[in-house]
Amino acid sequence: MNRLRIKNNATLFFGIFVFLFIGCTGKQKSSDSFLEGRPHSSTTIKYAKGFRIEHFDEYTRLTILNPWDNSAPYQTYNLYKDNAENNNLPSDGTHLRIPLESIVVNTFAYFDFLDRLGQLDKISGITDGFRVYNPKILRRIAKDSITDLGDPFKMNLEKTLILKPNAILTSAYAQRDQYSERLVQAGIPVIYNLEWMENSPLARAEWIKMIAVFFDKEVEADSIFDQVEKRYLEVKDKVDGVEKKYSVMAGDNFQGTWYVPGGKSFNACLFRDANLNYYYEDDDNSGSIGLDIETILTQFGKADYWFGCTADSYEELNQKDPKYRLLKSVKDKHVFNNKNRVTSSGGNDFFESAIANPDLILSDLIKAVYPELLPQYHFTYIKPLKTDNAL
Amino acid sequence: MKRNALFFSILVILLLTAFFCDLFVGNAHISIGETWAALWGSSGDVIIDEIVRNYRMPKALTSILAGASLSVAGLLMQTLFRNPLAGPDVLGVSAGAGLGVAILTMLNGSFLYPIISTLGSMSQVIAAVAGAALTLLLILFVSSRINDSITILVLGMIFGYVASAAVTILQSFADPDSLKVFVTWTFGSTSNVTWSKMPIMAGIVVSGILSSFFLQKNLNSLLLGEHYASTVGLNIKSTRIVLITITALVTGTITAFTGPIAFVGVVIPHFARALFGTANHKIVIPGTLLSGSILMIICDIISQIPLSNRTLPINAVTALFGAPMIIWIVLKRKKL
Repeated sequence: MNRLRIKNNATLFFGIFVFLFIGCTGKQKSSDSFLEGRPHSSTTIKYAKGFRIEHFDEYTRLTILNPWDNSAPYQTYNLYKDNAENNNLPSDGTHLRIPLESIVVNTFAYFDFLDRLGQLDKISGITDGFRVYNPKILRRIAKDSITDLGDPFKMNLEKTLILKPNAILTSAYAQRDQYSERLVQAGIPVIYNLEWMENSPLARAEWIKMIAVFFDKEVEADSIFDQVEKRYLEVKDKVDGVEKKYSVMAGDNFQGTWYVPGGKSFNACLFRDANLNYYYEDDDNSGSIGLDIETILTQFGKADYWFGCTADSYEELNQKDPKYRLLKSVKDKHVFNNKNRVTSSGGNDFFESAIANPDLILSDLIKAVYPELLPQYHFTYIKPLKTDNAL
Repeated sequence: MKRNALFFSILVILLLTAFFCDLFVGNAHISIGETWAALWGSSGDVIIDEIVRNYRMPKALTSILAGASLSVAGLLMQTLFRNPLAGPDVLGVSAGAGLGVAILTMLNGSFLYPIISTLGSMSQVIAAVAGAALTLLLILFVSSRINDSITILVLGMIFGYVASAAVTILQSFADPDSLKVFVTWTFGSTSNVTWSKMPIMAGIVVSGILSSFFLQKNLNSLLLGEHYASTVGLNIKSTRIVLITITALVTGTITAFTGPIAFVGVVIPHFARALFGTANHKIVIPGTLLSGSILMIICDIISQIPLSNRTLPINAVTALFGAPMIIWIVLKRKKL
């Protein structure tokens, strides 16, 4: 009798539990999309594939395209200038009044764009403040006119909300993070940037046009980009006709895996434009390829130059792993890191302004390999490793 | 009896105090008056209302639910396996949830993308639930075949190790950004749960906790040992399956919404038994539930203290700040 009761109890309450659990449901979002009218003009985008700007009578429509899914854009913004709410805006996308007066920037790559557009003073918050290189931003952090919001992947939501920015600029990844969702819920629009998916330096630099729309600085952005493009092509022209005899290795060992750029990546494009042979130049990968040290020695053992090394000196390289000495680039002392402009707390301009200055990155590579072509030029972002007596 | 009533009253008062402290403490400088106004009406500032009502409030509730349910789940496991080291994660469910999230994060740019894009951050929860559910099914299958709790315990831990190994392999293939997204998930966070997600989480977890109240007698019988329990009429196998199901559902759900939270589930049941001086589940279940909630909410308050503009991961705070508190109590009482 007792046995039966206990067993029944267990079954009954388990049943209640299952019933209560099944009784709960969640809500689903729905979305609709249509486009009213036709644009009277669109901004010319020469290289970038990730966004589109169209001008309508009463608003500008910015579309951030989706690199992972062609069926729908990643995000659409309808930007209007009037003070009053605009009734003629399409019903889909984010509506935003421009020019923006304050913005939180959760990506280092846009500091230089904003600086050139004269909009640095509109930044009210950033993330990872200790890693910033831009001296103007560092000064404003010190004066507390820019708030450091902490980890870029785990932004301090309360501090962000209390700043009441007009918008937040953040890198888009292949998944929607809960922080962006929370911000949108609180009524703060999120501007997604995807310039890092572009696979040429000029395409990345062209994203200045995207951010310029939010500050009504399209004309300025066009002329800034035209100059950058002109300088890039001039530098590129210098190696035109020069015999392509040097090969290059990139990346570095990270905990046993060596990440090298894929053939369709931004870095591979730079190597091509700098007239350098690259082992994976015909590869179809636009991201990076993870390799082990043995593969590196086989495929890149005879490469003449090595860019993107993380060490400061040949001695450090030797201490990390004596196998590095087997590489031709190391034997020839043709190794460069990206640490020419750094701060003591970890800021590195290579991760900030390089995107806006593709001409300078290209010049760096050409100066390293063909110094005679750029006699007056000094390295901007890269630096040869210090030579010691270790090797 | 009077002593227990006093302890329960103290715990309830502590919980309410901690809950309100959690609402009043945060990184944004909001005055007590403004917070109070935002709670009961409007502070006059939509952003302050947003922070208090839609950020701090669900976060505090999540802390209570996580603390209560993980502790109770830990208690159920300790009683079932008669093992003081057992906790909610011994069944491998947390590791299973971790594997689900790892697969989702590392495959984010692939064929999974349209699903992730439609579901938003709910996709992470679904992946974790799927991982946890898979582990649960495995462990239930094992439980239906094997009639020995210790063997089930060992197999549960093995499932956990296998899931962790798969996660490690995925990590070694992942790009740095995906890796960072995953590592951030493993830090644990009580702020992931929005009001729209709350009913799902609370529904499962509260049902689980309530069910455990109805199992007091079965649990007390188990304290005597499985052999003796079966002689007093307990159906060991069905009780075991019910306990495992409740624990796995509760732990899997909490892990899915908040990320893994260690320590609380193992230590709080000991604390509650020591505090009330009994192993009777009629007392220990509510005691565990209240103590777990209080510890978790205190940890949530501590994790808000900014260290160079970053908030501390709750998964670390529970052990770092919970351990000294518990050790102090143990030293005073000389035993757990």
